[in-house]
Amino acid sequence: MNSAIYRDKKPLLLFLLPAFVFLTFFLYYPFIQNIFNSFMNISGLGTASKGMIDPWYGNYVKMYEDPNMMTAFKNTMILTVCTIVIQVGFALVLALLVDRIKKGAKLFRTVYFFPIVISATALGLMFNLVFLYKGGMLNQFLQKVFGVAENIDWKSEEHFLLTMLTPVMWQYIGFYFVVLVTGLSSIPVEMYEAAQLDGANSMQRIRYVTLPLLRNVISTCLILAITGALKVFDLPWVMMGSGIPMDRSWLMGTYMYNQAFLRGDVDYSSAIAVMIVVLGVVFAKLANTLFKQKDY
Amino acid sequence: MKKIIAILLVLTMVLAVFSGCTGQSEQPASDVKVSEEEGKPAEQAKPVEITVVTSYGGDDGNRGNYENAIAGFEDATGNKVLDASATANEDWKAKVMTDFETGTEPDVLFYFLGADANSIIEADKVVSLEEIRAEYPDYASNMKEDLLVPSPADGNVYGVPSSGFWESLFVNTKVLEAAGVKVPDGDYTWDQFLADCQKINDAGYTPVAVSLQEVPHYWFEFSVYNNGNVSNHLDMPTSAVDATGEKWAAGFEDLKQLYDLGYLPENTLTATDAETVQLVADGEAAFLIDGSWKVGYFVENCSDHLGDFALRYVPGKDERKATDIIGGISMGYYITRQAWEDSEKRDAAIEFISHMTSDEVLSTFVTTEVTALKNGASPAGLNELQQSAAEMTGGVTGIVAPVQDKLSSEARADLFSNVKNIVTGKITIAEAIESALSIG
Repeated sequence: MNSAIYRDKKPLLLFLLPAFVFLTFFLYYPFIQNIFNSFMNISGLGTASKGMIDPWYGNYVKMYEDPNMMTAFKNTMILTVCTIVIQVGFALVLALLVDRIKKGAKLFRTVYFFPIVISATALGLMFNLVFLYKGGMLNQFLQKVFGVAENIDWKSEEHFLLTMLTPVMWQYIGFYFVVLVTGLSSIPVEMYEAAQLDGANSMQRIRYVTLPLLRNVISTCLILAITGALKVFDLPWVMMGSGIPMDRSWLMGTYMYNQAFLRGDVDYSSAIAVMIVVLGVVFAKLANTLFKQKDY
Repeated sequence: MKKIIAILLVLTMVLAVFSGCTGQSEQPASDVKVSEEEGKPAEQAKPVEITVVTSYGGDDGNRGNYENAIAGFEDATGNKVLDASATANEDWKAKVMTDFETGTEPDVLFYFLGADANSIIEADKVVSLEEIRAEYPDYASNMKEDLLVPSPADGNVYGVPSSGFWESLFVNTKVLEAAGVKVPDGDYTWDQFLADCQKINDAGYTPVAVSLQEVPHYWFEFSVYNNGNVSNHLDMPTSAVDATGEKWAAGFEDLKQLYDLGYLPENTLTATDAETVQLVADGEAAFLIDGSWKVGYFVENCSDHLGDFALRYVPGKDERKATDIIGGISMGYYITRQAWEDSEKRDAAIEFISHMTSDEVLSTFVTTEVTALKNGASPAGLNELQQSAAEMTGGVTGIVAPVQDKLSSEARADLFSNVKNIVTGKITIAEAIESALSIG
């Protein structure tokens, strides 16, 4: 058998070509076009540009002056922090707990992962019913069990953040849980046995064996969580629509969609899209630096 | 040999990736031309698939009638309708426009006849009645010519009108009875309305069901109407301080007054329209302004207590009588340029619209609305609420189209998204009006 094919790398390049062409046409070209669009005056999707806006960087200045955009930025940052602390944090705790049980581990894996397979739109509609003002599950529960007299408006200015973030957090905990459980299963049992012989208790085994050996997996989870938080759109859009309440719940993704599809301000929404990408790259780089992977 | 196989595989994958990029019909354009040049009818017997977008979405009261009409068309012609209908709202309008802008428009569109369609008319994406009648002289011949709605874009008629509409006051008579309030009649005034709202509020009910965050449209329309009259309702302001701008501002003041007095649902700034309509259906709120399409909602969802609801007039103020209502013909069937230039689809699209706007089919849709049919519609077997609506429309003294239809959808989105800011005092009424006018 001629083994030359294994030394010749050209066929590999040919196999890489389709994906490269696909990404060039459907990702990089639109992205570069989007950067140009952010400097132009475009008043409807698919309509021709009416020339460059004056000044050409006007949309980027507008972003800093637009109170809704500032709200969107602030909420996105809150969402990012919550994603790190709650999604990855809870997932880690659950993974450590499930890793220590012998029976039912598979059941818990399935149960915690299940929300991922449900569409965000369906989840949004479901949580709308949970948080409904009149007859919603949560209000009924509070009234029946705790005797709360009045309905609580869970989408009001006092509660909207909790209402919006809870389903988003809940949906993705399972994803990080599965990643972390897989990471835990790759830690050799001998390491724990050696630690036990050295007199380490359960907490010490987690602190000195599990967490250091899981560092790379946790780093990957954190990077995925941070970059993913910037793109969150569907579930908040279904639940909070156009910034409910009082333009307080905008996220960068939902505000960009609103500007492009409902307001017809394509150039401004392009500028917001560019900002989302820039933040994504900066945050990913930051996370990579902070949680630098180690070779063991 | 392996290299050749690899190259072939790669080419196949690349072709597979890009094969979906074309939005053209499967038949090459050149084939169509040959057929036309030879003067052959474009294979009439061959079933044709046409894509249709309408606002008869899943929750529309006429959805069942629409499906029956489509089934009738398919049985009669053998053609197939690919229906992509959805509920009409600002998202739907934006999606329809985006489809046109990105070249994925349907063959037939049931859409608004006012300024909402300006961009597709200006871009020559739909075909005018004049152009169609040059080849199909009998097209829409069953319609009253004076009720064919000219486009504000160029004055030509494009859409064949379907049933018309009205907007008026739905009341829950049980709530009124429980609050000791008389069911309003044709000379209902704004002052009487405010007094009734107070009584209803005191009795523990919500007087007015409206979601200011999602659908303040109807209340805006009647609030402006109440500060003008039938003849000047369609005037557009040029600024917040001209006479029409002040009329709009006075309308917003009335709406703010209702909010300040606590006559709107507690969660009017966060609730959806569906939630607030449900309040009326459940006997928790008394008044709702909505359109003729909402009758179907009550018939479908409240069939066991339909007698609890009645159609009355929105209270009048100054020059506007309560019996002056909002209404007209707002939607119609368009043929897109893309379908018109496809020799196969053209006939199917013409046949489809002719079927959907025939006297027979439209009579199944119409209950009490305005109709453009020369012979009039002949609805049969009206239920209690439809009968109430028929009595309401029978007493109408004036009818005018919604002034909000003269705003672009972007300007309208801006104006209505600011209603919540107006009533809570976050911005002034003048600022909100100027902001919308600056968009166009």
